Amino acid sequence: MTSPSDIAAMPPADNARPDGGDGEQPEPFGLGSSPLRTDALPKALGIYPYASDLWAEGLLWGAVLRAPHPHARILSVDTSAALALPGVRAVVTADDLPAGPDGGHDGAPHGPVVADRPILAAGVVRHHGEPVAAVAAEHPDTARLAAALIVVEYELLEPVTDPEQSFTAPPLHPDGNLFRHLPLRTGDPEAVGEVVVEGLYQVGRQDPAPLGAEAGLAVPRPDGGVELHLSSTDPHGDRDRTAACLGLEPDRVRLVVTGVPGATADREDLSFQVTLALLALRTGRPVKMTLTREESFHTHTTRHPALLRYRHHADAEGRLVKVEAQILLDGGAYADVSAEALAAATAFSVGPYVCPNVFVDAWAVRTNNPPAGRMRGEGALQTCFAYESQLDQLAVRLGLDPVEIRRRNALATGDSMPTGQAVTCPAPVTALLDAVASEPLPALPVDDPDADWLLPGGPGGAGDPASVRRGIGYAVGMVHMLGAEGEDEVSTATVRVSGDHATVICAAVDSGQGFATLARQIVQSVLGVSEVYIAPVDSDQSIAGPSARGRHTWVSGGAVERAALMVRHQLLQPIAANFGMSVELLSIADGKITSYDGVLGMPVGEALEGKELWATAQCRPHPTEPLDEAGQGDAFVSIAFCAMRAVVDVDIELGAVRVVDVTVAQDVGRALNPRQIEDRIEAGVAQGVGLALLEDLRTEGGLLVNPSLTGYRLPTALDTPEVRIAALLEERDVVATFGAKAVSAAPAVVAPAAVAAAVRAATGLPVGRLPIRAEDAVSA
Amino acid sequence: MLPASLDEAVEALAATPAAVPVAGATDLMEAVNAGRLRPAALIGLGRITELRGWRYEDGGTAVLGAGLTHARMDRPDFAALIPALADAARTAGPPQVRNVGTLGGNIATAAPAGDTLPVLAALEATATLARPGATREVPVSHLLTGLDPLRPGELLTWVRVPLLHAPQVFLKATGRSGPARATASVAVVLDPARRAVRCAVGAVAPVPLRPLEAETWVASCIDWDGSREIDPAATAAFGEYVAAACVPDSYAAEGPWEAVTEGPTAAAVRLRRTVSVLARRALGRALK
Repeated sequence: MTSPSDIAAMPPADNARPDGGDGEQPEPFGLGSSPLRTDALPKALGIYPYASDLWAEGLLWGAVLRAPHPHARILSVDTSAALALPGVRAVVTADDLPAGPDGGHDGAPHGPVVADRPILAAGVVRHHGEPVAAVAAEHPDTARLAAALIVVEYELLEPVTDPEQSFTAPPLHPDGNLFRHLPLRTGDPEAVGEVVVEGLYQVGRQDPAPLGAEAGLAVPRPDGGVELHLSSTDPHGDRDRTAACLGLEPDRVRLVVTGVPGATADREDLSFQVTLALLALRTGRPVKMTLTREESFHTHTTRHPALLRYRHHADAEGRLVKVEAQILLDGGAYADVSAEALAAATAFSVGPYVCPNVFVDAWAVRTNNPPAGRMRGEGALQTCFAYESQLDQLAVRLGLDPVEIRRRNALATGDSMPTGQAVTCPAPVTALLDAVASEPLPALPVDDPDADWLLPGGPGGAGDPASVRRGIGYAVGMVHMLGAEGEDEVSTATVRVSGDHATVICAAVDSGQGFATLARQIVQSVLGVSEVYIAPVDSDQSIAGPSARGRHTWVSGGAVERAALMVRHQLLQPIAANFGMSVELLSIADGKITSYDGVLGMPVGEALEGKELWATAQCRPHPTEPLDEAGQGDAFVSIAFCAMRAVVDVDIELGAVRVVDVTVAQDVGRALNPRQIEDRIEAGVAQGVGLALLEDLRTEGGLLVNPSLTGYRLPTALDTPEVRIAALLEERDVVATFGAKAVSAAPAVVAPAAVAAAVRAATGLPVGRLPIRAEDAVSA
Repeated sequence: MLPASLDEAVEALAATPAAVPVAGATDLMEAVNAGRLRPAALIGLGRITELRGWRYEDGGTAVLGAGLTHARMDRPDFAALIPALADAARTAGPPQVRNVGTLGGNIATAAPAGDTLPVLAALEATATLARPGATREVPVSHLLTGLDPLRPGELLTWVRVPLLHAPQVFLKATGRSGPARATASVAVVLDPARRAVRCAVGAVAPVPLRPLEAETWVASCIDWDGSREIDPAATAAFGEYVAAACVPDSYAAEGPWEAVTEGPTAAAVRLRRTVSVLARRALGRALK
């Protein structure tokens, strides 16, 4: 892994730990350094407590009965046999949830944007695996057995599984089948380029497939409320929605966040949480539920499968003249965040390029497929594959180098996006491209004949060097940070310093993105305190919002910094007053408070002795506005860019693909923790390569075909390429906290497009579908 | 139950015919954990050390213990004896699975994509099934097809494999670089003493398939007394021949209506292509 020199050249003051003398390696300290994640060792040693490890005295076990059909009317539910089973303590259905506004039992519908998804199916099931009833029993096997004893009579309905049929199909839900139609119109519709290329692109269904399946514990409270222990990534949102579904006041529900076993999407869907809480309230006893792997695939939302039709017009030099596109996202059975994903897909439909005339129609529709929701770069990823494929086509038609055609159209700071929003943040698209293009290529077998060469198909596989072709592909992409279209983004943090250690209380969940480590670094940098404790998260703390869209570095990091600065002021003010100078003339570095003239040099620990200082602060970035009926508006707070070069080897007879190397240049604003950024990039590349080649949650007639880790193929270490960081471009985003940009989503957005481009280069085939199947890469 | 010797295990199984013998448990426990299988009892075979090795018989046969793990079969000493079986064991799964998964388990589970199965079919291996005081010998392919299945109370103990002292190749197509289930696999073994080529195709049908006519034809193309060279066109034709024999026109046809239409299905064309490439490469490597 190569690191750019500008990371090594971070201010040394932040890197040095005060007591790290005696030639010992000082522990990384403060922003810009790379301390080890606090949870890294416990997780590696297997002692990190996850939700599935929870236990309460006298607990019951929950189990859920799921619909075996993608679309059916529920004629009757008979729970008597289940209730009669010894050891069963409660069986609940939609009738046990509070009645809806019209007095009928509607299953307490909920949703992050539109409340359309029932907790337990009421009257109709709309996707395979939708929860219909739940059981609490003394033993997990009893609970599962009882769930199987519930007799549900279904009247099968014709499932709508093709999103293109959704427009004309009878409504699958009272809300209709269209989640959102977003047109984008800018420029001259009559504009025509000298070269026109067209393409149809398909993206399959990627599942977040978190290694830890959903698990949780609900404990009833004496006040009639309930306490939920879950690996939630949005504690306050989940608390409020759970309370609403149960008809409780929000303060009667307390949500305690347990160890999150990795999340690249939302975790613990609401049906799971509310069902658990309902069972605990019903029985008056703690209830624990752990889903099986198969259930896990059924319950959480997936990435939106997409169908994209593009037409690019360019002049003879390869400059874009007009882009026309139709984008169709399959939102599955319920709305979830489809409207948001569609906004990203539409706004970024041209990619990080300048084009004066853009005409896009985008739709997100309801089908009887699994519901789609949030997942790293939702919306932005699907279009990135399409627009980058189009640019490759243009390059071939014009005889241009793929990097050159991108350079000629590259977006830069000050340019306008098709939504009319001016790009005010750094947009170093050309610099990113140059960085990946100038990085040396990986060796070929002929350069290094003695090396143990891993052929497509893996070690000991069927690969034959004579039929292996190498391909190189480039891609650039963009993704927005923070909630878009007028969403109120806010986070709150409290910093307390007592004696020689500091505590951060912030409800921002570390879902694996490393926020806890970052918060520690921030406090170290501002206060010079090395011991920083990050308090566990629960919903009694102030609101910090969900762990999604790369927002915590910005909003929660900003809140932590402000709170820490307020504490710093409280700490320094009396000292400054003593010396008759202003606080601004004092600085904290190397664990010492020093004055500008060097007269004062007091260790931080001494200044803090016997004191307890604390402050709470909020961070709220500048507001955004919704896209209007022509797709125009300043909808995004900021945008991050990423460029990649993928090198693949393809066995053109068998269609086996091995990604040899992915070289990444990313626009990070400021590298607050370089190693953590590299980890995030590697993770994003791995997920992107998975989508490009392996991961596809398939359905047949709406039924899940491969809901297991055998059937759903996640990339293994042998499938993931060498990831090289060509550059982490540090051009500060002046409005962002620390000038830093979110890093997790961008690599996942760009990697599939880069791999597809490389396979295209190796095989000469069009490659219009992700994941790339073996038959799509056979060209001999 | 954890018998310490083969005799104890055979007795235990005879006493409780409903019990399920378990060795590496890589398939079995997955089914148990998922609630698909509730065995009345388990007979753990892990402590029967005699089944974990192999011995020679009559100079020309290796008698392999059913408890031989994939990891053990991948070691160089074993690979020198039965190279194709070592190849299959090496690609059978991740190290955690290969360390515990056994040859006997692979046969007893009889998964269509079981990697050692086409090799055993090509080698015409036989299995020893034991009951108290009696054993019988059954060709592995008969066990797999159900022609002569494992009877209640019988324990799979040994697998007899002829030692051919000639090149053998196992190849599988998986669509990924990491360990994965085969979409198709081909085993090719040469039997110079009988001037025969034997081939089996795995994962395309519930059991490994032997393209007997293709075997006979290609054996007649080989100059057995000389360098065993063969015309590349014959190798390619062998691939096509094997593929046509093992993948029917109606492969993966959606219902009977597609089966009666003219010509092979798209899935059949794709799979034939894969099988033909594998068979061509396998034969090419065996004759190199």
